[in-house]
Amino acid sequence: MIKVDTTTLSSIISQCFAYSSDGRLSADQQATLLADGKRLRGLLLNLLSAQFDGGTQAVLAANKQLTTINTELANSATALANTAKTLNDVASLVGNLDKLLNVTKSFV
Amino acid sequence: MNMPSLLRLHASAVVALSVILSGCTANRYEAPASSFRDKTQQTINVLGSFYSSRNSYEIDVYLQSIAADSSLPVQTVDSKGVPTPLGKPVFSPASIKARLDALNVVGIYANRLYDLANTSAPSKFQSAATTLGQNLSSLDKTFQTLQGASDPTANKYIGPISSLVGTIGEMYLDRKRDELVTKAVTEGAPQVEVILSQVRDDMDKIFSLEIISGSNEKLATLIFAYNNDRTKLNYEQRMVRLSEIKAAANELAASVGSAPTALVTSMMDAHKALVLEATSPAKSKINNLAALNSALEQWTAQIQSLSTEIKTLIH
Repeated sequence: MIKVDTTTLSSIISQCFAYSSDGRLSADQQATLLADGKRLRGLLLNLLSAQFDGGTQAVLAANKQLTTINTELANSATALANTAKTLNDVASLVGNLDKLLNVTKSFV
Repeated sequence: MNMPSLLRLHASAVVALSVILSGCTANRYEAPASSFRDKTQQTINVLGSFYSSRNSYEIDVYLQSIAADSSLPVQTVDSKGVPTPLGKPVFSPASIKARLDALNVVGIYANRLYDLANTSAPSKFQSAATTLGQNLSSLDKTFQTLQGASDPTANKYIGPISSLVGTIGEMYLDRKRDELVTKAVTEGAPQVEVILSQVRDDMDKIFSLEIISGSNEKLATLIFAYNNDRTKLNYEQRMVRLSEIKAAANELAASVGSAPTALVTSMMDAHKALVLEATSPAKSKINNLAALNSALEQWTAQIQSLSTEIKTLIH
């Protein structure tokens, strides 16, 4: 059985919320990141206890995407310089994790 | 001095020494066993309150988000068909209860160690231990019904609880208190350590992330709402909102330290010191007793400081 990397997901959520009150972003961008942070947190609460069959490609891909986005957000200079990409990447993550809940094997 | 007098003197010395030694033996375990029992119960109370408050905490996070945005209705199921914390508990109540029960078994183990170190009523303890064994066996059945898809990690509690129930059920007092405490600790300690390790894993891998992300969400929501509303607020209203933001920031700071994990860790350290004291050879016992007392004092300090932090996380 394998699990989603919820530690990295939690880090991404924290960063989304931090950016949601970052004055270098527009009000709309802040609102988007607040909403995405909330959606990701809702997904986190389900994924904390979710288990998947070993080798599930969707989980492996999601964990890889989590690492990439976490690194991207941690570099604020890059994230702020490429805000549109950052927002798209976070939205993509939300969509992919949403789909994962349909294939989970079991919940703790 | 004649021989009969020497013999009487020798006999008196042996009797006196036996009395002193038996008194020393009982005294050696009495204080740490009492402290261990009391600290265990305090820790269980704090952790129990923390576990019990998880779903209430999630409802608070959800309702605060609703309050911050007047366009959002209160719902039990959202527009995507996902239950909100009002519609369905985020954490299974049965799983929460099972973990509370597992902690209570550890509390009973600590109580029994205290009884072994102190009681002078063997027959009363024997019958009490038998009744206890019957009551505790139902806890084992609780975890067995949770086993499987509904709660995979329940499997990890079943084995150690079954063994611990057996050990506690067998605890009865005879006159060899030292040997009995050593036996009880030797047989019960591995199961207690597994249970506490599981609790610590729960805190580290599940509830720590829940709390940190929840605290972040609450702070971000309050900040966003304030920034949106501030031109419509008078000074007093702004101060109230800013106080809420400060409280949320304090809660976030407390959550990062993972106080529940730290509390379980200090309990495990004290338990390890107790095991070492109970199972070490006679010549090491004095040093290990000092180490045990030190671990108990550190645990006491942790309970006092961490309980305050944990209370900010209990809703």
